[in-house]
Amino acid sequence: MSTEAPQRAGEIIATSTTDFTAQCYELYQLPPLGSPVKNGDAELEIYAIVYNATTSSIEPGRHPIARGKDETSEEAIYHSNPQLEKLLRSEFSALVVGHKAGDKVHHYLPPKPARIHSFVHLCSPQEIRDFSQSLGFLDIIINSQLPIPRDELIAACLRQISRAYEDADSFLVLVGKRLAALLSDNFSQLSAILERIKQ
Amino acid sequence: MPLELSKVAAQLEGMAVRLKAGIEQRRQHLEQAFGIINIKAIDPEGLKRKIARSKTTWLVADIVEEPNRHYQPPPPPEDFTIIATDGSHIDVNRHQSTRYYLINIGSVMLSYGSNPDAKIESHPRLYFEEEDLVLSPPEGGGREQPIEGALLGIKRGIKECRHLADIAGELPAGSSALALLDGSLIIWGLSSKDYPEFVVDELLIKGFLCHLEDIKKLNKYRPLALASYISFPRSTDVVNTLRVAICPYDSPDCDRYCSNLPPGKRECDAVAGVRDRDLFFNILNDGERSSLFINQSSIVRNYYSDQRIYFFYIRVGDEIARIEIPQWVAMDEKLLGLAHSLILDQCQRGHGYPVALSEAHEQAVLTAADRNNFQQLVELLLAEEHIPVTSSVKSLSKRTRWV
Repeated sequence: MSTEAPQRAGEIIATSTTDFTAQCYELYQLPPLGSPVKNGDAELEIYAIVYNATTSSIEPGRHPIARGKDETSEEAIYHSNPQLEKLLRSEFSALVVGHKAGDKVHHYLPPKPARIHSFVHLCSPQEIRDFSQSLGFLDIIINSQLPIPRDELIAACLRQISRAYEDADSFLVLVGKRLAALLSDNFSQLSAILERIKQ
Repeated sequence: MPLELSKVAAQLEGMAVRLKAGIEQRRQHLEQAFGIINIKAIDPEGLKRKIARSKTTWLVADIVEEPNRHYQPPPPPEDFTIIATDGSHIDVNRHQSTRYYLINIGSVMLSYGSNPDAKIESHPRLYFEEEDLVLSPPEGGGREQPIEGALLGIKRGIKECRHLADIAGELPAGSSALALLDGSLIIWGLSSKDYPEFVVDELLIKGFLCHLEDIKKLNKYRPLALASYISFPRSTDVVNTLRVAICPYDSPDCDRYCSNLPPGKRECDAVAGVRDRDLFFNILNDGERSSLFINQSSIVRNYYSDQRIYFFYIRVGDEIARIEIPQWVAMDEKLLGLAHSLILDQCQRGHGYPVALSEAHEQAVLTAADRNNFQQLVELLLAEEHIPVTSSVKSLSKRTRWV
């Protein structure tokens, strides 16, 4: 298995206005938590942030069982049971945080959701920089209901975005100021996030 | 109406008492059978001749060697591939005016060793053309055979073998391989006298046996063994061979000598009720296979010619499985060893049952939900085309229950 994530991250298998779930083509080839991903075409490109990932059996009734008792390594389990790669699947869910219609980037929800079976790609550094020129998308994350703590997602997302900048520190300082304004009434959340984005 | 368990409970108690009473007798019979198969004086050639002379009312396995031998598996090759298929079908709905059936074949190719890989697929196919729905005598006239019920089950088994031959053709050259089928290589359903000869010709001779031959020919490019796997077999062919061995008559003939004796009073009833699996559980150590035996059913003798079916038993943990192989595998020591070692390896990887077969089954199986969805799709599509789908009143009354 290659460690380098492919440009195409997966294919959408569940979708709604606010988020979508995509299946990876290769087991465990998941984009990191907080990664900016995109979907759609030139007419409407949807931007989203990966907020959750799972790996489970393809069939709900078939649960994985322990197989490694007599194996020397975890890798050996997959080596001895080549069918596993076909019977398990990795999926990730992404929160829709904006879209691009034509040339214009909007930091609010798109007019329609992504399509089932459409592809999800990782955003390029240039796309990430363009999208994060404004930090309006943070509002959407702060106000969303998610299965993981929002502080964790915001911090992971900002760490991922900062990698697209040569001067990641300056970006994070800018972001810190914006967060301070957004979370002025919630100091504990603010400090939890700032703690998590320290380089 | 749910089953009234209170009414069954008393009957179950009766069954338990009956079963308990039989345990001691079966244990004694098993001991007898174990003693007979291990008699040092057993002369394979003499027994073989006696089997050939016998006219029995039960199926007797022919022997190739002393029947109590047991063999350790050879080490499996470093790189090898297992292919397997299994099938499931949706039968013709006799309560519906439109006739069609569906066969779903699951196929699996698992490669082990330096380049592990898996290919797992299902191939559903709908049959609705007239030639799919009936088998007709080639010269015309005569009785047509509708393909449904038992005959559809036979056709499905033949399709499983056909797919196995197809994927065997995709195997990489050089690397050793095993092709596995679930169940028996003997198409027992066709041994019934109910089917005219053209059905046997079409399904067995031009179908199943041709596919076995195709697989055999692929041995040109690599060692490729073929076997079928029967879990928890109920067969008694080998125990019946012991019946012949202990028959006091030189030329055993059940109808001639023993037809007037009540059940349990014949000499050979000393091993009655013992199954081959009980016998071999006492003979084989974990991982070992038994001696080879030859199936002597009339269908094999009449039609299989050089694809004649041999079999052996194998012990995997606490389970005895029956493995059937065609003659060309049985007579080739390398292929026989390959079948033995790779089946055992598959069972060890699959917690007692071959992984490839269980994955092929998972691909093929059609759940109640699948069947309902398929039925709804059929009705929807036919309705869109304004094709009337009339159902019988009986089927309607089962689907809409009322008081």
